[in-house]
Amino acid sequence: MILFAKIQNQILSYLRYMKGILLIFTLTLGFCFLGQADRKYTPAGMLSLGGRTTVSLFNDHENEMTGTGVGGQFRLQFSDAVNTDWFFDYITSDILNYAHRTDYHIGWSVLFYPINNLDYFRQKEEFKPKFRPYILAGHCFDYSKIEAKVSPLDGPMSAERWSSAVQAGLGTHLELSPRFDISLTGQYMIHLGNHIETDYDFTTGALSFNEHKGASLAGHVLVTLSLNYKIAKLWGFTRR
Amino acid sequence: MGIHQKITGLFLLVSTLIYSQERPSYFQPSLLRASATIAPTRFYTQQTTVALINGFVEYALENRISVRGEANIMAPNGKLLYTNSPEKFPRNFTSIYAGFGYHLGKRNWKFDIHAEPGIAISEMAQQPFLIVPVAYQWSVSPSYMLKGGTSFYFSKYCHFFAEINYSNGWIRKTPLTSVSIAQYGISAGLGFHVLTKKN
Repeated sequence: MILFAKIQNQILSYLRYMKGILLIFTLTLGFCFLGQADRKYTPAGMLSLGGRTTVSLFNDHENEMTGTGVGGQFRLQFSDAVNTDWFFDYITSDILNYAHRTDYHIGWSVLFYPINNLDYFRQKEEFKPKFRPYILAGHCFDYSKIEAKVSPLDGPMSAERWSSAVQAGLGTHLELSPRFDISLTGQYMIHLGNHIETDYDFTTGALSFNEHKGASLAGHVLVTLSLNYKIAKLWGFTRR
Repeated sequence: MGIHQKITGLFLLVSTLIYSQERPSYFQPSLLRASATIAPTRFYTQQTTVALINGFVEYALENRISVRGEANIMAPNGKLLYTNSPEKFPRNFTSIYAGFGYHLGKRNWKFDIHAEPGIAISEMAQQPFLIVPVAYQWSVSPSYMLKGGTSFYFSKYCHFFAEINYSNGWIRKTPLTSVSIAQYGISAGLGFHVLTKKN
């Protein structure tokens, strides 16, 4: 009975979580049809490719220090006001000097440009570099592995987990040419699902990992700097 | 060197630059350039200096924007030029970066800045203070490189370049505290380029 109740709780929490994702997805589609004025040029269908560097701050894990990461992304724009990032990140961090943690993030974010209608953003004959701020929200899958710095004699000591996460934040592009931009994003990512705790005895130096099943909110701040170049336009070439 | 020789040298330098401005602009979109050189690099947090072999390939996407990939390789089991703590330094080290560059300046003399995310692949001793043969472990660490420099395109196929770079990262798979690979280095030499599309 206890097992059944646990499974039921897990399913309910998962459904609640999926509801949030569906809401974001529906909003995305809604925004896609906004602001598509009858004109020759529309950014819809623009595909960008880029690389990114990420810093992970204020980690919830006890004694975890600032992490650094590298990754890549492609960006697909749906309308004047809506863009999407599809990213992969590889982030490593220390847990003081007794363990280290590796995170792999693969996910997507929706970027919404709230002040897109200003004349400042219109295409002029002569391009001028400009900032384009945005709000972003999204979802990702996460694989984490924590390894002890010093392995016991019977082999490496580690613990791992798969989980899911949602993230939201603010950012801005610095558009240096019609095709090239640098983007700076600050976002908070909340991991949902199983989590790993480390217990370290500073007196004896004994380290143990505890894996906790069930939903848990644990997050971190991610600051990402990405460089992106528009490589193709997949649809919406011209409008007459 | 006397004052007359200095004036003559300056005159020759200025006339070279003026002469170069009459040539066509070699740096254009679709220019592909590459080179390899020795890059003395200082891992300043480890108080260690090494000679890395640096190679890059770069493609000009626009007049000011380029995409670039490069690698730095420490010769396997090579001697460190100067170090205070060889037992805590990678036995082997390679870094690979890919990113974009921004080019300023007119015609054939360009000033470049580059930002390149990447990875560092390194091999660290796992029991650094043991004298007996110790185990080594490879690891891949996130890293990034920032680079600034200048290039002078003096012919249709050749250019000179000089660059200074800074990169950072941490090797986590160590038995002690993680090892910083923060470093700065210089590289300079003769590069080769070709226009891949005709205007």
